Amino acid sequence: MSSPSRAALASLAQEYEALTHGVALLDRSRAGRLRFQGKDALDLLNRLSTNQLNDLASGEARATVLTSNKGRIVDVLTVARQDGHLLVLTSPETPRKVAEYIDFYTFSEDVRVEDITGATAMLSVTGPQAEAWAATHMVNPGTDVAVFRDDFLGAPGYAVVVPVARRDALWERLSRDTGATPAGEEAVEAVRVERGVPVYGRELGEEYNPLETGLRPIISFTKGCYVGQEVVARLDTYKKVQRRLAGLRWEADARVDAGADIVLDGEGVGVLTSAARLPDGAGVGLGYVKRGVAEGAGVSVDILGKLIQARLVEM
Amino acid sequence: MTQQTAPRPPLTITISEKAAHHVRKFAEQAGKPNATLRVGVKGGGCSGLTYVLDMVDAPGESDKIIKEHGLTLCVDKKSYVFLAGTTLEYSDGLNGKGFEFHNPNAKTTCGCGTSFSV
Repeated sequence: MSSPSRAALASLAQEYEALTHGVALLDRSRAGRLRFQGKDALDLLNRLSTNQLNDLASGEARATVLTSNKGRIVDVLTVARQDGHLLVLTSPETPRKVAEYIDFYTFSEDVRVEDITGATAMLSVTGPQAEAWAATHMVNPGTDVAVFRDDFLGAPGYAVVVPVARRDALWERLSRDTGATPAGEEAVEAVRVERGVPVYGRELGEEYNPLETGLRPIISFTKGCYVGQEVVARLDTYKKVQRRLAGLRWEADARVDAGADIVLDGEGVGVLTSAARLPDGAGVGLGYVKRGVAEGAGVSVDILGKLIQARLVEM
Repeated sequence: MTQQTAPRPPLTITISEKAAHHVRKFAEQAGKPNATLRVGVKGGGCSGLTYVLDMVDAPGESDKIIKEHGLTLCVDKKSYVFLAGTTLEYSDGLNGKGFEFHNPNAKTTCGCGTSFSV
């Protein structure tokens, strides 16, 4: 977190306001996009991931966790059912990994996976006013365009996936004509961290299980077996989850980076995984802390031996 | 001095006589006494790979065919990689009735025994 200029801070504040109180327009083209075709595609994804997908209706999208047979997180996917195919969003780093994972588990099923990340672009409209925005501005998307509900940032949102050649015209129209405020990576990152949305490489990966990461809302405990289900169910039943993803907040004007130790009463109780600064100057973070360290607890973040006072907050 | 060892038998999938008897019984009950038993694997189940047993009218073109105890078994090539050396048994003990896969490739098996990992 370098010191931003006054103009940059003003812009950050405006973008943050749109994300938290209005409607913001984002370019999320970095996210991976896989097209799944074949009559067995949805059933296969249902067997390999945590959420109930078999009843997904055309036009609907649902998040799910792709898990290893040890119940660890391979990636968090968004599965959008379109006419005749599925559009699957992956983390920016993982489309190839996910495609290879699916291929490993495909035997006689009719499933074909194509990476369309480079051939497409993805814009998102998100914020508390996004539903009202959609009622006014969402039109028939036409051919080669996928539009689906995607509350990826913990607020109502819509994703629009278009052929890459049509990205600039769409961005121009949505930012000029619809009142959605373009927001950049810094503002999105601040909101992501404040709301506790995990990302791959920081809070998501095979060192974590989905219960630690707070992904319970996208785990079905009734749909039956999926890869890793026995481990996830056992951890839940016997209360064996040893750590959890927690939100932190600090007021100090200090550079705080991921990887710092979280300390309580002189003892290390966790590790910071993400850090960002809000427009009002407050610092926010995410980190895994030991079970039993409660919200509201006064902790410290250890920056090269200097302790910054922080507290665990509700996300 | 050269030590001679007996050549190792090729890896295959075998079916016990008891399991074959029960397959024939099921096939006759289903009105398909000449059906082929498809043995395979699919993704899913707690451990990642789930065993598949099915009665089919005929093997697929690229399937591996195994004949034993008067039965024809077929297995697709990718499943065969995970099943080579497996014996299909039938258990009717106190722990429950049913077909059991004794698979030397399985490193872990889930609690209900229907899925495995390699």
